[in-house]
Amino acid sequence: EEWNVSLWGAPRAFTAHVEKLAELVSEKTDGEFTLNISYGGLSNNRENLDGISIGAFEMAQFCAGYHRDKNPSITVLELPFLGVSSLEQEVELSMAVYNHPATVEDLGRWNAKLLMPSPLPQYNIVGVGDAPSTLADFEGLSVRATGGIGAAMEAVGAVPTSMSATEVRQAMDSGVVKAVSFAPHAHMSFGTIENGTWWTTNLNPGTVNCPVVVNTDAFESLSDAHREALMGSVDEALDHYIANYNGATMEAWGPALKERGIEEVTFADSEIEAFKSVAAAPAAAAWIEQNSAAGLPAQELYDLVTGMIAGDN
Amino acid sequence: MATASLVLEDDSTLSKLDLSLLKLERVLALVSGLAVFSLMLLAVFSVSGRNFANAPLPGYVDWIEQAMPLISFMGISYVMREGAHIRMDILVGQLRGRALYLAELITTLAVLLLMVLLVWGTWAHFQRSFDFGAPMWSRDSSMDIALPLWPAKLLAPVAFSVLCLRLCLQIWAYARGVVTGHTVAVPMIADAAKQAQMEADQLKDEG
Amino acid sequence: MEPIEIGLWVTGGLLVLVVLGMRVAFAAGLAGLVGLVWIFWARKDYGFEDLGWAVGIAAKTAGQVPHSKVASQALSLIPTFILIGYLAYHAGLTKALFEAAKKWIAWVPGGLAVSTVFATAGFAAVSGASVATSAVFARIAIPEMLKIGYNKQFAAGVVAAGGTLASLIPPSAILVIYAIIVEQDVGMLLLAGFIPGAFSAFIYAALIIGMALTIKGFGPPVSGFTWKERFLSLPPALPIIFVVVTIICFVYNPFGGDAWGTPTEGGAIGAFVVFLMALYQGMRWPELKESLLETAKLSVMIFTIIWGVLIYVRFLGFADLPGAFSDWITSLTMSPMLILVCILLAYAVLGMFMDAIGMLLLTLPVVHPAIMALNGGADVAAADSAFGMSGPMCAVWFGILVVKMAEFCLITPPIGLNCFVVAGVRDDLTVQDVFKGVTPFFIADGITIALLVAFPSIVLWLPSLA
Ligand code: NA
Ligand code: NA
Repeated sequence: EEWNVSLWGAPRAFTAHVEKLAELVSEKTDGEFTLNISYGGLSNNRENLDGISIGAFEMAQFCAGYHRDKNPSITVLELPFLGVSSLEQEVELSMAVYNHPATVEDLGRWNAKLLMPSPLPQYNIVGVGDAPSTLADFEGLSVRATGGIGAAMEAVGAVPTSMSATEVRQAMDSGVVKAVSFAPHAHMSFGTIENGTWWTTNLNPGTVNCPVVVNTDAFESLSDAHREALMGSVDEALDHYIANYNGATMEAWGPALKERGIEEVTFADSEIEAFKSVAAAPAAAAWIEQNSAAGLPAQELYDLVTGMIAGDN
Repeated sequence: MATASLVLEDDSTLSKLDLSLLKLERVLALVSGLAVFSLMLLAVFSVSGRNFANAPLPGYVDWIEQAMPLISFMGISYVMREGAHIRMDILVGQLRGRALYLAELITTLAVLLLMVLLVWGTWAHFQRSFDFGAPMWSRDSSMDIALPLWPAKLLAPVAFSVLCLRLCLQIWAYARGVVTGHTVAVPMIADAAKQAQMEADQLKDEG
Repeated sequence: MEPIEIGLWVTGGLLVLVVLGMRVAFAAGLAGLVGLVWIFWARKDYGFEDLGWAVGIAAKTAGQVPHSKVASQALSLIPTFILIGYLAYHAGLTKALFEAAKKWIAWVPGGLAVSTVFATAGFAAVSGASVATSAVFARIAIPEMLKIGYNKQFAAGVVAAGGTLASLIPPSAILVIYAIIVEQDVGMLLLAGFIPGAFSAFIYAALIIGMALTIKGFGPPVSGFTWKERFLSLPPALPIIFVVVTIICFVYNPFGGDAWGTPTEGGAIGAFVVFLMALYQGMRWPELKESLLETAKLSVMIFTIIWGVLIYVRFLGFADLPGAFSDWITSLTMSPMLILVCILLAYAVLGMFMDAIGMLLLTLPVVHPAIMALNGGADVAAADSAFGMSGPMCAVWFGILVVKMAEFCLITPPIGLNCFVVAGVRDDLTVQDVFKGVTPFFIADGITIALLVAFPSIVLWLPSLA
């Protein structure tokens, strides 16, 4: 049994769990069941769900924000200011949403079964020019931000622009954007810290949700032993991912900022609260309204996520 | 600076169909050209918006991505009619008469096979992004401002279907060539007399 | 059968289709589609009842490619840069450049051909696409050369070769595509292309002068222009400076401070400026419509090749041919410089059969990391590296080398796009004629590439200032 797995880019912190999963599955089945990982050879990253749907490959990774209409249910996890504080919590929330019947049905339209998330820490902003010290300083700031984070930036008067990660460096060089929101590993791999002069440590406006899915038919036709080998390896793969992200990646992050003399901007709690109150509630309300209209139990999904976060704190 | 077309005409049904289809193809190709032109205006708009009004055009990239399929697909059949899709004619260029038409018939059949399968494939791609039950019929949307993608995805099977019509016409024409030894409605590899004629036409165009 | 074997068989089949005269875009698409059917069917052990399933899944996989690959912002530079070329023709810039070059330079041996080379180099500064440059100069320069007795094939060759300068001298669509594929700074690459582009033009000129001095009956020099005529020829060509400055300021602001926008926007603004100029020169709807149709024709032709080749590339992804290549390259024990030279030679061979953009799209994801690894990694310092340059500089250097190779392939048989276009514009010339005429320029390009490899500072001096 050989499964093709469609990822993109290069092997990095963001793909460590899939690499680990492949290793574990092969080990447990003595090489009888292998995951053959391709970085970009099998599909465009924005078409990975299409490939799953037609059965061109058996496993794939994608990000919910690439195509809201393909997967409205999981975009709840991309809402701004949910208040997620750790990768472990991000995993727990993602799995709860993934297992919700409405989500199962939503992804079922693509013949896809959600296997595991690729948890990312809260995004923060690297920028050039004068560092903002209050919310008011965001007025008129052009910032690369997508999805819920873009909506949040707009709420405080910034001018959000979307572009693919690969174009960000050039846009920053050329002054098209003055600031960029990314997770730390992306700030490092897409070079924004080479230009940046400041970085927000605690804005934490949200993150993106990038699940790994499998083709349902392929999953169901697995033998019991192979299915057990796959499902039994998910937790260990995620543990490996989190240990690697919190370890190697975040250990490189602090020194990378120091080396380049990037100013760390920390906002007062009152500022963050003010930001949340203008950005979080309206975005959530808009999301609920829009997705209820599309026939999703939006309120229920939102309550599920916020309820779990409230319970954890 | 139009390049003279190498397609012969007569008063047969085949030739009439060729010319009617050509009218449609020219309109579609002009749509491609106008899309390039709007891309240019869009950038002017976006740049001036950003620099003079501090208001960048929202979803600039998304709009570009919508315009690109218009540019790339709509003219495909026109380019086929004019014989402007590139190829290596070192071998076919040596053939004349029936042998030439037979070779052309075979490769054109191969192109038709590909395009019929691609009409199917691109139609399926469109269908996955289209949902009668959803707001704006959209089941797939762009990254920044969530434009529905189905209209752009629909362009591929539409343009490819027109190309399939053109290919059927060319197959008919080449088959006629194989049977009778000469034909119309397909791009010819020019002979000397024809060249001289077109050279003259071109000077007329510029004068 | 192993996927890699299927990959090799289908690649062989593709070559056969192309040689048989099937149009390249469709030959590549068909090879890719058949290859996909084969791969999927092989997974079901060729069961007769599974063939339909394999065809369906292959058609749907291939059917994703056209939309998903062309709906890209980076590729939007291509039609814009083609449009600039046609508008510049109506704005009188092509003619003005050619006239100015003629009056100033045509007195040297082989003068009109040398003038053509420098006029195409000047036009390269407003045109981002090699084929468009060849197309417009085929209309202007070839008739003049024929009038004074140049060999028809050689005249066509000069134009086909001169057109390739457009992709090194900024703006350049292909340099932008390289930068995007390998995630390097676009501005740095465009800057790096300038000197090698000018350098290539001088080597072409030297070659022509050498030929004129040795070959009997070569086109005569054209002299007798007065200084007054020479200076009067300059003003009509001057607007080009304005356009060049506009485009460069969008890519990299030489006056200090931020650039004015992205290269995509720079290209479009450049096109807009030329459009206004053409309006001023009397272009109206009939001419504009004709330009738009020609732009559409060339763009559609190029995009069809792009998605056709990418269907084939998608199949290669399933066959994992690029992965196998990468493993093989990195396991070699030769010196890095020798490997680099071999890779450039491999590009020369591959480029005989593939279109430049398709070739870069196909190979760079594999070859670029291998080159970076050979040099010592993306973050290596110049002192510790194999080629004596830092990681980012190596990416720029290799980019210019690869693009020069890709340009070289635009004039090599059997699939040299520039030659096809020149033959397409001039109906009195066959593709074979143009290939014959362009042959001397292979030598010039060979010398240029050897010098760029031996003296990387020709490429890296300008970007190292930025
Ligand atoms: Na250029
Ligand atoms: Na070639």
